[in-house]
Amino acid sequence: MEGTSPVIVADGLQRAFTVGRGQRKETIEAVRHLDLEVRAGERLAFIGPNGAGKSTSIKMLTGILHPTGGHALVLGLVPWHERRTLSRRIGTLFGQRSLLWSELAAVETYRMLGAIYGLGHAHVTRRLDELGELLDAASLFHQPVRTLSLGQRMRCELAACLLHEPSLVFLDEPTIGLDLLAKQRFRELLVTLNTELGTTVFLTSHDVADIEYVADRAVIVNDGRVIRDASVAALRAELLTNKRVRVGLAGVDPAVVAAALTGPGRATTPTSTGIDLAVDTDVCTIETALTAVFAAAPGAVVDVAIDDAPLEDVIASIYRSPT
Amino acid sequence: MITQIVTTAMAGTRRAARQPGALVAVAGFYLVVTLALSAMWRAVTESRGGEIAGYDATSITWYIIVSELAFSVVPQRLIEYTGDDVVNRRIVPELIRPARPVVIRLAHEVGMVLPRLAACAVVGVVFGFAVVGPPPSWSGLTLAIPALLLGAAGSIAAQHAFAAASFWFHETRSAWFLYQKLVFILGGLLIPIDVLPGPLRSVAAALPFAAFAYAPSRLAAGRIDPGWFVVQLGWLVALTIAAVVAFDRGTARLVREGS
Repeated sequence: MEGTSPVIVADGLQRAFTVGRGQRKETIEAVRHLDLEVRAGERLAFIGPNGAGKSTSIKMLTGILHPTGGHALVLGLVPWHERRTLSRRIGTLFGQRSLLWSELAAVETYRMLGAIYGLGHAHVTRRLDELGELLDAASLFHQPVRTLSLGQRMRCELAACLLHEPSLVFLDEPTIGLDLLAKQRFRELLVTLNTELGTTVFLTSHDVADIEYVADRAVIVNDGRVIRDASVAALRAELLTNKRVRVGLAGVDPAVVAAALTGPGRATTPTSTGIDLAVDTDVCTIETALTAVFAAAPGAVVDVAIDDAPLEDVIASIYRSPT
Repeated sequence: MITQIVTTAMAGTRRAARQPGALVAVAGFYLVVTLALSAMWRAVTESRGGEIAGYDATSITWYIIVSELAFSVVPQRLIEYTGDDVVNRRIVPELIRPARPVVIRLAHEVGMVLPRLAACAVVGVVFGFAVVGPPPSWSGLTLAIPALLLGAAGSIAAQHAFAAASFWFHETRSAWFLYQKLVFILGGLLIPIDVLPGPLRSVAAALPFAAFAYAPSRLAAGRIDPGWFVVQLGWLVALTIAAVVAFDRGTARLVREGS
């Protein structure tokens, strides 16, 4: 994305909340110092554990919350000063909050949203034709929303979010509650939206598969600040140095073996059938780890399987790292 | 903004019309309450020699038909639902739109009134003809229709204006309870304002609640006074401005302080 213009620039963005009264009054720093630049056309995953400051950051970037410090520009606008102008250029989709009325066909809500965004009847019709084709949802637009499956409804919700042709969309847990197939379909649509229309995607999700399939860059926040900003490809590369070794044991107590296996670059967890070793191969080779296992449980090893660590584990280890 | 309002109101109308079960329930409840209250007031009228505060059995029946209509077509718990949306921050996504949330909400609710009004009005008119015959004045009954719409819009605006208190106070349910009781008693829903004791009558006439139900009901009872349209319009404008200002200040506070 080098060379494209930034659509989001946050510089030392801060937000503190005062809670309680009198003697019990305290200040909570939800966002301590957010520096972020997102370029046009990126697919960014903005992730972190609960309470990390994701929602507060998104509220500031969409203009519905003033910061207590720092500065930000979204599409060249100061969000909290120019919220209504900005709203014409961004789309928002909250997985747990519907934009559509269940009693009506989606197209009827789109007409209303079109009027709210100042779009003419012909403009909405043309746009719905485009979105119907892009999202493979044209036939769904005319059915009462209450008759749609959750996956179909989310495609219609996405159309509502895109109706006014935003160049940047904020998606908050868009796949929550969807079944596996619907999730996969929705992720593909987000990538299509980005590649075909050039829409910048700003995604938050706790589902690591959303990040793997949709995002090309991940910004990980914790404790109100960015703790990691890397391409998803770079995060995947970390998988190569993080292995999971599953060892099946017989005739010994896995907890005793696990306790004997502590050492640099490996973490051991007893399981019902043996032990799981998380090995950082930069610090400890697989050979060293396995030698230690055979030494700790001589004659008791009945099975060994070596896998890449899931991305979820990599992200979880980043969450746990000191900020 | 006119297009936003009209399109949203039309969507509200379609939305209410697509809920036939809810319409039947509202019309059924309206019939039961009207049946009971009008029977009670006819009995009171007869016990007072056939007239009370200038209302005879026919005019009091048509009064109740329209006052209960005014009550039934606007959800009286709208104030609670709106307040809850503010407290629970369900209103927040509406801030990311190029329109004032309160304007969209008002237009939507006014639009939803129309199917309910149509369903209940048919029931009310049939009931009135069956029980006491034609209304005291056809022109009064005709004028009651725009008066009902003005009253419904005023009631919706008032409920939003008061519900905006939830931007500042999280515990407001007791206030909504009090509001509903004031509307019942001082708005002429259960008791025509003319029947209230002198000082209470003056208080009721000075409050906006009379514009919601009493104004259209007295028209249906044959008391045609164009001045009430001015009163209704005045309250509608004042309450709409109050709702818009209160929501603007409340949302500004929400955006500034976040809670």
